[in-house]
Amino acid sequence: MRRTREEVDATLQVAKLNPAELLPAVHCLGFSPEASPAAAGDFYLLELDPALCQELEAGRSMVIRGDRDEQAVLCSKDKTYDLKVAGTSNMLLLIPECKTPDQLKKEETHCNIFHSEIFGFSNNYWELRRCRPRLKKLKRLLMENTYEGPDSQKEKDSSCSKYTTEDLLDQIQASEEEIMAQLQVLNACEIGGYWRILEFDYEMKLLNHITQLVDSESWSFTKVPLNVCLQELGPLEPEDMIEHCLNCYGRRYTEEGEIYFELSADKICRATAQMLLQNAVKFNLAEFQEVWQQSVPEGMVARLDQLQGLALVDRQSRPEIIFLLKVDDLPEDTQERFNSLFSLREKWTGEDIAPYIQDLCGEKQTIGALLTKYSRSSMQNGVKVYNSRRPIS
Amino acid sequence: MVQIIVSSAGAGGLAEWVLMELQGEIEARYSTGLAGNLLGDLHYTTEGIPVLIVGHHILYGKIIHLEKPFAVLVKHTSGEQDCDERACKTGTRYLVTALIKNKILFKTRPKPIITNVPKKV
Repeated sequence: MRRTREEVDATLQVAKLNPAELLPAVHCLGFSPEASPAAAGDFYLLELDPALCQELEAGRSMVIRGDRDEQAVLCSKDKTYDLKVAGTSNMLLLIPECKTPDQLKKEETHCNIFHSEIFGFSNNYWELRRCRPRLKKLKRLLMENTYEGPDSQKEKDSSCSKYTTEDLLDQIQASEEEIMAQLQVLNACEIGGYWRILEFDYEMKLLNHITQLVDSESWSFTKVPLNVCLQELGPLEPEDMIEHCLNCYGRRYTEEGEIYFELSADKICRATAQMLLQNAVKFNLAEFQEVWQQSVPEGMVARLDQLQGLALVDRQSRPEIIFLLKVDDLPEDTQERFNSLFSLREKWTGEDIAPYIQDLCGEKQTIGALLTKYSRSSMQNGVKVYNSRRPIS
Repeated sequence: MVQIIVSSAGAGGLAEWVLMELQGEIEARYSTGLAGNLLGDLHYTTEGIPVLIVGHHILYGKIIHLEKPFAVLVKHTSGEQDCDERACKTGTRYLVTALIKNKILFKTRPKPIITNVPKKV
């Protein structure tokens, strides 16, 4: 059934094409006996971006993740993409053995007739769009069973939920690197092969041990030696918990073979504020600032800008108040986030709202662009404020 | 949750295919399905313009280098021994079989070939 060169030439003559104006090689295209439409589900076309294409060429795998009720995402090692089917009214034919004119000119093949089989055809393909990883579930899972120390009753009870890295990959719609980065943000710690978040009170207890030791040894906060910490505090708490706490609240460095930590005043002040605020619905701002400064280790200065994304100040009320509002407790979806912010407060200044939408910004998206899209601005007493575009129910 | 592995054999194992885009749709005579049927002859002019002859129609197109290449994913249902643990749970995985970086686009309407000389084709 294969076409011969004579048949091809006869067709050219009928079509009134001059063979001299054509490259000598011809592809005789036919559908393979197994050719099937993509709709049959045996194969799919996936549109890539150049970076992903390089990953595949390097032999790296990707994973499609999603539950039945979730929109599927595709994850590379470090990025997450929304996966959507794009349709076209045109017909797309997949041809394995087909050369481009450039290749034909370069290769100078002797063969001038290629019998190319069409592998399959499709009128749709999967489109990828880079998206933010869906990480909110990660905190929710880990908060189910926080770690309160080795002697806690919970640790003896084996029925409490615990998650390994594999379990998390199986539950979270995000790439492995994005999950690992978020575990760091959450101050999570791998204990006995399971990822755990420390119960806040337990974390504070550890931090307290450390700051008290720094105080009693008259160390500088910028040079806290790991070894002495472990020696001194080892009898009180497990050594890996002390080291974890130093990692969370400090920057590790080595000097003359010794490991030291530079403790972060910002992080310690922030944690102290959280401890004070989470026991009250609201706090008189002036009183809070006084108590807060007294509660932080000596030598550290508590400043309100350390509380971005953790607490919100209300300057309209009399007296001025401050209350806990954690960005990671707000919805992950952009529209839902704005709805929840605007139901909390009708009008926001740019400065106040920024910490609560910063994490929503995509690759090339700015806070300004988000505000333009999801809010309406107006001037109030010479200050630009933002409110919802539609009534909040 | 469902996790489906999309694995790639890497540069050595990835063929480069070509995508041909035709306006409208190709249908087989007598609705016999396209599998096994001949489509037509693809020529290139010396300037590199693709020319496709399908039956008594001729189409002129162009080669487009894709900014966003395509991957061809072929479904493999497990039962094969070489699947790893995660993929086995769902039973399905996709293998990146080929990359497509060039497209031959025929976006104009086909021109009929007019002839009054019946010839065996």
